[in-house]
Amino acid sequence: MAPHPGIDTDQIKEKARKDLLDLLQGVRGKKNLVIEKSLAGPIGLFLKFSTLQDYGVDKVFFLENDNVDVSQKNVIFVARGENASQAIAVADQIKRLQKDSSIEHDFSVVWVPRRTLVCNQILEEAGVLGDCSVEEFPLHFIPLEQDVMSLALDDSFSDLYLRKDPTAIFLAAQALMPFQRKHGLFPRIIGKGDNARRLMDLLFRMRSEASAEESTSTSPSTSGMIPSASVESLIIIDREVDLATPLLTQLTYEGLVDEIFGIQHNQADISTSIIAQQNSTSQGLKRKVQLDSSDKLYDQLRDTNFATGSRLLNKFAKQLQSNYESRHVAKSTSELRDFVSKLPSYQSEQQSLNIQVSLAQEIEKQTLHSDTFSRVLEIQQNLIAGADPSSQHDAIEELISRDIPLATILRLLCLESTVAGGLRQKDLDSFKRQILHAYGYQHLLTLSALEKIGLLQSRAGNPLLIPGVAASSSGGTNYTAIRKPLRLILDEVNEQDRDDIAYVYSMYAPLSVRLVQCILQKPYITSFTSPNSSNTSSSHGWTPFEDLLRNVKGETFSKVQKGDNEAVVKARHMLTGQGGKKTVLVMFLGGVTFTEIAALRFVAKQEEGRRRIVILTTGMINGNGIVEGAREKGDFGRG
Amino acid sequence: MSTTSPTADWALCGDTFYRKTKVYDAIFDQDLELENHIVAGAPYGGAIALFRDEDKLRTYRGTGATKPSIDIYSLAGKSIRSINWDRGPIKGLGWSDDEKLLVITGDGTVRCYYDLQSDFTQFSLGHGAEQHGVKECRFWLTGFVALLSNNSLVAVTQYHDPRPRLLAIPPKADIHSWAIIPPAYTLSRSVEVLLAVNETIYVVDSNEAEDRVLSNGPFKYASVSPNGLYVTLYTEDGKVWVITSDFQNKIGEYESKARTVPKDVQWCGNDSVLLAWEDEVHMIGPNGALLKYYYDGWVHLLPDIDGVRIITSDLCEFLQKVPDATEDVFKIGSTSPASVLLDAQDQLEKKSSKADDNIQLIRSNLPDAVSSCVQAAGQEYSVHWQKQLLKAASFGKSVLDLYSSDDFVDTCEKLRVLNAVRDYQIGLPLSLQQYQRLTPDKLIQRLMNRREYRLAIHLSDFLRVPTNKIYVHWACQKVRNSTSDEDTISHAVVAKLASKRGISFETIARAAYDEGRTHLATQLLNHETRAGKQVPLLLSMEEDEIALDKALSSGDTDLVFFVLLHLKKKLPLAAFFRVLTNRPIATALVESSAAAQDTDILKSLYYQDDRPIDGANLLFAEALRQTAPQTKSDKLKLAAKVLSDSKDATATLYKSTCQEAQALIRAQDALDRDIGDSGEGQQRFTGLSLNATLLRLLSLGYGKRAAKLQSEFRVPEKTWWWLRLRGLVATRDFGELETVSQQRKSPIGWEPFFNEILAAGNPKLAGLFVGKCTGLKAQERAEMYVKCGMVVRAGEELVKVKDLEGLEELKGKARAGEVGEVERLIGQLRPRR
Repeated sequence: MAPHPGIDTDQIKEKARKDLLDLLQGVRGKKNLVIEKSLAGPIGLFLKFSTLQDYGVDKVFFLENDNVDVSQKNVIFVARGENASQAIAVADQIKRLQKDSSIEHDFSVVWVPRRTLVCNQILEEAGVLGDCSVEEFPLHFIPLEQDVMSLALDDSFSDLYLRKDPTAIFLAAQALMPFQRKHGLFPRIIGKGDNARRLMDLLFRMRSEASAEESTSTSPSTSGMIPSASVESLIIIDREVDLATPLLTQLTYEGLVDEIFGIQHNQADISTSIIAQQNSTSQGLKRKVQLDSSDKLYDQLRDTNFATGSRLLNKFAKQLQSNYESRHVAKSTSELRDFVSKLPSYQSEQQSLNIQVSLAQEIEKQTLHSDTFSRVLEIQQNLIAGADPSSQHDAIEELISRDIPLATILRLLCLESTVAGGLRQKDLDSFKRQILHAYGYQHLLTLSALEKIGLLQSRAGNPLLIPGVAASSSGGTNYTAIRKPLRLILDEVNEQDRDDIAYVYSMYAPLSVRLVQCILQKPYITSFTSPNSSNTSSSHGWTPFEDLLRNVKGETFSKVQKGDNEAVVKARHMLTGQGGKKTVLVMFLGGVTFTEIAALRFVAKQEEGRRRIVILTTGMINGNGIVEGAREKGDFGRG
Repeated sequence: MSTTSPTADWALCGDTFYRKTKVYDAIFDQDLELENHIVAGAPYGGAIALFRDEDKLRTYRGTGATKPSIDIYSLAGKSIRSINWDRGPIKGLGWSDDEKLLVITGDGTVRCYYDLQSDFTQFSLGHGAEQHGVKECRFWLTGFVALLSNNSLVAVTQYHDPRPRLLAIPPKADIHSWAIIPPAYTLSRSVEVLLAVNETIYVVDSNEAEDRVLSNGPFKYASVSPNGLYVTLYTEDGKVWVITSDFQNKIGEYESKARTVPKDVQWCGNDSVLLAWEDEVHMIGPNGALLKYYYDGWVHLLPDIDGVRIITSDLCEFLQKVPDATEDVFKIGSTSPASVLLDAQDQLEKKSSKADDNIQLIRSNLPDAVSSCVQAAGQEYSVHWQKQLLKAASFGKSVLDLYSSDDFVDTCEKLRVLNAVRDYQIGLPLSLQQYQRLTPDKLIQRLMNRREYRLAIHLSDFLRVPTNKIYVHWACQKVRNSTSDEDTISHAVVAKLASKRGISFETIARAAYDEGRTHLATQLLNHETRAGKQVPLLLSMEEDEIALDKALSSGDTDLVFFVLLHLKKKLPLAAFFRVLTNRPIATALVESSAAAQDTDILKSLYYQDDRPIDGANLLFAEALRQTAPQTKSDKLKLAAKVLSDSKDATATLYKSTCQEAQALIRAQDALDRDIGDSGEGQQRFTGLSLNATLLRLLSLGYGKRAAKLQSEFRVPEKTWWWLRLRGLVATRDFGELETVSQQRKSPIGWEPFFNEILAAGNPKLAGLFVGKCTGLKAQERAEMYVKCGMVVRAGEELVKVKDLEGLEELKGKARAGEVGEVERLIGQLRPRR
């Protein structure tokens, strides 16, 4: 993809890299680096750890391990400033080093993404603030791909919905502001969900704060922002709006890799017994496999439905084979030379093919050839399609008795609760009891947490089923009411020649992405709701779906941001013209799944001629991650 | 304006011209006795600070005016401020480039007076300064080094957040003189100190003190050139040495033949050195040429980057090398193109045709001539000559076809600024170079410090830089000094600033608050839009709840945390909770932060908020952390007790779970004692779930105990059957499974048996269960038989439903011995013709 005049992810990466290296260079001489674990992955996305050595880093420690040694005079801590416990850890370790070490250390603390008052106070109370120099590393959105950027807040889901801690919203707003500063105001902010609303309010607020900011630094750009010419709109989708989608098992290639192996920061830890390597015999070890668009093969596979993906894989294998075989038919020396010059690329393709084939085989083993997997999938599909939930209860009970992983069970029950607006009290109690028996009484806390998030609830007192009561007032999304009009379920999905986003779940079109389609592809969606209505592509915001959206949880909003100076705006538009592709930013507050990204990419492909879609998120999630966040990790086995 | 010859104040030193420009005259009152004062000048023509030198005698002038004070003047002698000083002798007096005045006392206390006000921030040098005392200080643009009397050196590199640092320890010996090389000019990028010790010089930085092994000392003076490249040393026997600052090359040596040691040795620019006595200044130029200047009064030297300011009571002069462009134009007898161009302009004014002749003469060099004139104009102090030079340049460029006027316009703009601030009323005699180094921003800051708001705003508009800071500065002065009542001030300030952008009302409010005008501060703070700025001030004003609400509405959780931490420390717990009431986000933040650190506060919070389930959860979580079975049970009992009043379904289940959990803990404890120690398994029962406990009992062969637990905990039949199946399969107790197969009914059906046993690798036994799966279709059963390798049985199933197609397919899967049998079955179905 050619660099875009709008938001350029490569540039953001490069800036983050430079900022961090500058900070490291600011400390002269050799140094030890102590880094918060959850930052190591994100930083690895734009900076190779081997590069650190060129900048004088001797050893790297994890903050959580509390094992930094006294080998270097200079010690640099890198941690998130929003997190008080990290600040306490930093303070403790500085004190420990000061006590243990015979030399006087020079400490630097780098707060990501900003220096906070609380961290200052903690360091001050610990009496170490005076002993260290404090810096900021404004790392906000980290590009995962050209069209995906993440704040890499691993706990953003449970923070927002379990602990009701809105820090992630604030960080998202802070991360979005630089885009507005650089590219101009988002001309329109459209969104769904209460937290999304809060994010928009914050953006408005920050804009007014920014204009009050003492911009004596001679940047005239801040003196009155004007609407962007390169960005079309910002769409904010609150995860709470559509909790069902991530609970379903992802069925794209990348989605399944994530479900089974877990992808973190474009990497997956894969056991070496799966990806057999000729030169290594070590068993039981994990190897990091890079999974991103730099691998051409993976790039083509990732967003396909797994069923199609494995077929594609065969095709590639054959093609590669025939390419490779071409050496036998190469006659002239020039043909041979041609072949040899391509050899390195063949080899890397071969290597990537080997890895992908091994992964696909392992996935096949764990899915298609697994009895429980198909049972689980069947239950999921029945539930989302609106089948009577109680008809699935026997099957779920059986799965509990067979002791399949708790996360899977919880996903099923939460899915049922989400889609059907709660379980009957009797059923809920019975399931709870079975879970407590099968997986331990400690999960009373797990269940309590899920109830707090609203993922698991009893039908009593849930207004969803009372006709006429809109969902946005309270309670969750009413899937029953929107299933038909938004055509969430497609009975016939062509997984190979995809014609609708529903291919990603083999029948179900993720609601979150349907909502985006309501904004970007109005004619398509209207063709479901009222096939005979006139063309609506000219309308803005949520029109004409407002009524439908009352059944979806949370506030619905669409606001136009105007510049302070109309004349400038007009002049600017005259100069740049209306032509050219604009960028649509889609922000998922609370996390997004790989499958949703695949579906959005499908939409982006259709919209390619008109606009570019960039996906932003607080973090990558999947159903396991959601229930893991609620899960009680301890048990009664102590002592 | 003076129209004297521009070369009148030039003097030749060797082959280089120096000029001494008189900037201001009649500066100080003759009574001031400049000779008895320490004088420190801010960089780039900034203010000067005077403090009476305590070591010198003073003329008795009656009893008045004996209170010591630090007096700040402009270079034109206008008194800006007088700061009362009662802290005793001053060991260091200096300025930073943003006109902060630094005063260092003998005990290492540093006061930093900002904005030319009497307000200051204070910090202490530490590192033994208190015991040993400060001897002397040397300043650079952003920091200073203090020399203690025990020869320790303490460096401060910035004043915003000062961190005094001890440099490497130099040898213990008398220090004859010393100088510093600012960080910007050293290889290590940290400050370096040159110490004249014995006959040599030590170079001290943060890591080491290195002897440069010179033998010509002791050096009475050491001075570093403004660009940090050269060092001048003055020896005891009157020799002046010039060497590179890396001590690699000696540039020159000069015999001053002075009998008395000079009072001061300073660089003038980067190529000459000044020696100053009471009323005499000697300049040593390149190649040792000498130039002498005599004065009527006591002389102070204030070095700047491109020259030296010489201050006496009568006048302020700037001594500098004549800039190349200026020399080019004005040197007597010069025939340079620029000089000719200037002459052409002169002729033009006289309407002489020679003007054109001149132009033709230098036609080929005209662009250079124009730019020389522009440059020379920039260096000129006389407005007359500035105009002449610019006119000449203008004339020259009008002849040229192509000429970029950027430099010309730029210079005009800068000269307007410079002329404005050079006015004696303002007293900032900046040279062009100094202005460029200082930057327009800091110049405007200096004007604000002098309360020249009108000029500051004019200049800001002229230079197209934001004016908001000026308004804020003005407002701060207003709220500090106005004598009107608070409402009037507030109205005046708000009325003036309401329409302006980027006004920090917080700064103004803080100024008001610091002045003790709390009401005014609150009023002004309401106009502040940035919560991050409002909140800390509100907290210091003890407006706690307002602060919390402002923090909450900002969405910045850090701010909310900050307020909460503050309140938690300050308020009694009950009052703290009252603040939290009806503020759900604040409550949530307290919860999430306390969860990791302080569960006691949470217990009280949940109790007060009437959230029994959350309260019970805390105790339940505590139970999980206990190690002894008894304490676990105790905590669980407590958890259940919290809920004793609740009757809803969740609470009921909660309570029964707590009971069951206790029962299980007891049972597992007993099991561990009875079975666990018998050595059959390393793993204990404690910690397992109920089902896992049962499964383990079953696989260990304790069926009876398992059954007892099953009934005790009312495990559903289905689950029980599954557990038994899994237990038996796990222990490969196929005999028992065969017995089970004889039972008539199973609550979980028989397919699970088939699947599990087949997976365990006993197809024969699995086959036994196929027939029992009566709920399935025949084809499915046939499939199951095939999986067990019983093709014939599969065939028989298919025969029952007359599935000919299925049988044909089956034939393909049959082994050699079975093909015949399958064909026979097919034969049964196929109608004979």
